[in-house]
Amino acid sequence: MILPDYYEFCCRVQIVAGHDALEKIPALLAEMGAKKPLIVTDKGVAAAGLVDIVVNALKEGVTIGGIADNVPPDSDLKVVNQLAGLYRDNACDAIIAVGGGSVMDTAKGVNIVVSENATDLMAFSGAGALNRRLKPLVAIPTTAGTGSEVTLVAVIKDHEKHQKMLFTSYFLLPNVSILDSRMTMTMPPFITAMTGMDALSHAVEGYYCLQKNPLSDAHSLAAVNMIHQYLSMVTKNPADKEGRLAMAVGACLAGISFSNSMVGIVHNLGHATGAVCGVPHGICMAVLLPYGLEYNMHKRRDIIAELLLPMAGEDVYLKTPRAERADKVVSLIRQMNQDLNVITGGRHARYFSEVKDRDGKQMVPRDVLPEIAKAALFDGATIYNPEDSDYEDNLLVLEAAWEGKPLDRSKIKKG
Amino acid sequence: MQEIHAGGKPLKKAYVAIFLWFTGRAIQAAAKVDKEVKKEFDTLPDEFTFALGSLPNGPWMVVGKEKGKVKYFGGNLKCRPIHLRLVIKNIEAAFLILSFQESTALATTRNRLMTDGEVPYALSVIRILDIVEVYLLPKLIASLAVKRYPSWWPFGHKLAGRIGVYTRTLLGI
Amino acid sequence: MDLTNGFAFICPFKTNSGNKALENLPVELAGLNACKPLIITSRKLAGGSAIGTLKNAFGDSGMTFGVFDEVTETADLNVVEQIRDIFIKGQYDSIIALGGGVIVDVAKIVNLAVSQKVADARQLSTATAIRDPLGPFVVIPTAAATGMETSKYASLHGISFVAVHLMPDLVILDPRLTRAKDGKAVAEAGFAAFGRILEADVAPGKNPLMHAYAFTALRFLRENLAEAVTKRCNKKASLAVANAVAMSGCVISNTDQTVLHRLGKVFQNIVHVHPGMIIGMCLYPFLDDQIKKDRSLLSNLLLTLGGDDKYVFMPEDGRPGAALREIYEFSYEIYAALKGKMPPTIREAGIQQYLMDDVLEVINQEPDGAYLRTIIDRVGGSSIKA
Repeated sequence: MILPDYYEFCCRVQIVAGHDALEKIPALLAEMGAKKPLIVTDKGVAAAGLVDIVVNALKEGVTIGGIADNVPPDSDLKVVNQLAGLYRDNACDAIIAVGGGSVMDTAKGVNIVVSENATDLMAFSGAGALNRRLKPLVAIPTTAGTGSEVTLVAVIKDHEKHQKMLFTSYFLLPNVSILDSRMTMTMPPFITAMTGMDALSHAVEGYYCLQKNPLSDAHSLAAVNMIHQYLSMVTKNPADKEGRLAMAVGACLAGISFSNSMVGIVHNLGHATGAVCGVPHGICMAVLLPYGLEYNMHKRRDIIAELLLPMAGEDVYLKTPRAERADKVVSLIRQMNQDLNVITGGRHARYFSEVKDRDGKQMVPRDVLPEIAKAALFDGATIYNPEDSDYEDNLLVLEAAWEGKPLDRSKIKKG
Repeated sequence: MQEIHAGGKPLKKAYVAIFLWFTGRAIQAAAKVDKEVKKEFDTLPDEFTFALGSLPNGPWMVVGKEKGKVKYFGGNLKCRPIHLRLVIKNIEAAFLILSFQESTALATTRNRLMTDGEVPYALSVIRILDIVEVYLLPKLIASLAVKRYPSWWPFGHKLAGRIGVYTRTLLGI
Repeated sequence: MDLTNGFAFICPFKTNSGNKALENLPVELAGLNACKPLIITSRKLAGGSAIGTLKNAFGDSGMTFGVFDEVTETADLNVVEQIRDIFIKGQYDSIIALGGGVIVDVAKIVNLAVSQKVADARQLSTATAIRDPLGPFVVIPTAAATGMETSKYASLHGISFVAVHLMPDLVILDPRLTRAKDGKAVAEAGFAAFGRILEADVAPGKNPLMHAYAFTALRFLRENLAEAVTKRCNKKASLAVANAVAMSGCVISNTDQTVLHRLGKVFQNIVHVHPGMIIGMCLYPFLDDQIKKDRSLLSNLLLTLGGDDKYVFMPEDGRPGAALREIYEFSYEIYAALKGKMPPTIREAGIQQYLMDDVLEVINQEPDGAYLRTIIDRVGGSSIKA
């Protein structure tokens, strides 16, 4: 186990997991001196009946101060301010966020406004602007993927001023994250597959990127093991309770890993593809992950090889010659995409050329790849990638990922 | 029981100040000599200014664009509005970075460097710093300071660039 | 790992480890909204050079800070009250504990006293409720750390406190401070951490989050403890051990499996020996019992201690035994390196009869006292009685 010359690691969030973890929330709130939470969620989560499950689990122990289900898919400053008003009007004393990334972001934004009595949220953006505890925040993720229940970042958009505000602080971490199998049980196979691959990309990138450290490594190894073991299983059989819980825990472990070790070219190109073409993040991650590994192979072969045992188990490990372990990891991830593609009846894309929108239109036309390659130069994840990546490198990887051909590694510029 | 007021670290501060002065002038020079640096600056808005330095009270290096030209503005943060600050957490870390014991990328991954401003700008600035380091430093040291040493650059290009950057840095033109 | 029954886990502290870690203190304190810390330490126990290194780390920060360096082994609530008074009069806003063991216990209790605004720290007792988060608290362990510094426990003169809020916000591990002065102290700290983590990690109720810490710490100890004991110039090995020791505080705060920990603590309280010495002795009999109870629980230990290849190439039913062999080799190397300075049995430790009687009396009061007794008997405790 390598001890880096210097590292930092932090995940202060209390993790409570189980098939009946929701029922523990009243006691957890009481420990934090809160008894009237505001529930923040979105229409999709509410329509899936998940808020009802949460409310049922809570009603014995606490008074619910309000349920706001109007969080848009893209966080919005106006909604943040409106929910903060609701929080104050109903004299709430805690926030429960039920949903995915945008719900978590919105809840974190509301928490800043109500805790700091902020009129201008912008004043609290950037590093170091928040320096004291906020109101109790309980996060209940409804996808096993983003890991935003353990991340310290929030992005709030001001659609009027066309501004994106970035908040980074340990004080934005939820106090408690609840991982309950009931929250992901109704997730459709296609979404399960792509959010699961998102989680895998966190675990894997967290393991090979430059800021890796012994604790993020341990979280990654455990995450890779659980996700590889259960993702296809729960995609095939959505009602698999144990599998759902394992995926929720695996995604959380992966979230802890990458929020400490950061991510690299897979996220770098993925963010850019999302921004340029509107492709869902999880699909970008699924498509790009094997290529990110290939791109960094010459610098990280031994490290990537260490993922083989947790991923594939003993038999595969024993049968794979030492020198081929890293390549085997890449082919196993390709195989996962292949399996998920079959299970979802072709909806889970394996390459960018396969990604279609609802009308069956190709979402990533080949001629936008240069634009994506350029946009990726301005995404922060590039810093943490082991190998440098310029415009040509980005295009090389994108083209391979579009066609679905393994990366021609002889074309990578090596220093 | 005693109450102590923290002392200073004048020697390390002086070293860092000299290096920042030199690097600032070198960036100004490289923007004239090197196509890539020029291109990178062209993507940045007019009057864009950035600062690199150490907490809590310097030293700093302020570089920016003025009427389309790239200029080193000295070490005073108040000299003009600053759009981006690359902040090193303390003078010891600044010394590690500017004595090339840790590359910019490595220092970032070791949480020594913080960005105050828009990330895309920060990435442009880091790319500029990397190229300037390749010109200023011998290959052995530069390959430690950057992630990937551009060994594919033609020898003549590197030599001409190096001579150009050094001459202009020393003369301050 | 079986998740059916659910689990809860928390590790509230941030870890900063490595080269120039101390110099980040001013920035870290600012992040905790603190600007005037009080350093609690001991010139005698932590050493003057450690205190000097810490003072220098503030260089150029422009900060003012206090240093209380008079904590002794026999510190009690009177000392806590004395420091509480200094804290309030000096208008400090945060606490930095430099050192291990009693220094950090005192610092935790001072933090409790000043955060909960008690009028007199001498009135604190085991019954004191700790409900809310306490003030900013940083722990900087030296080689004298026992592993309890980062835990939710604090105890002083028989008064003990348990609360997650007692855990620090930040732990700084700096190679300049974690380098060991003598091999025995490192071995004791290492054994204490190893035993406490091991028993949590072979328990049926372990969860994947705790296991991540256990995995990292156990492997660090397996790979570095012997090196840190024998080669005191090896900064990296002692830093790795210090990392593992700090992680052990997190692990023990998330488990109720504390057989080895409690054994160590009883001897520490009564005989005033390092708990690591006792835990080191008791490792083998404890594991012997575990392997008889459930072999599969020890199987994974081989992966943690031996690495991928050793684990995979060993057939399933041989793994628990191989894990035990790893641990045997691990402790043998350390005992051998210390050349008799670390007693492998209670008999050799030369503990006097009347103290042993006291130890056994306390142990008999534990709910699982009869079992604890069998472990002591097997490490030579009975021969003293006889």
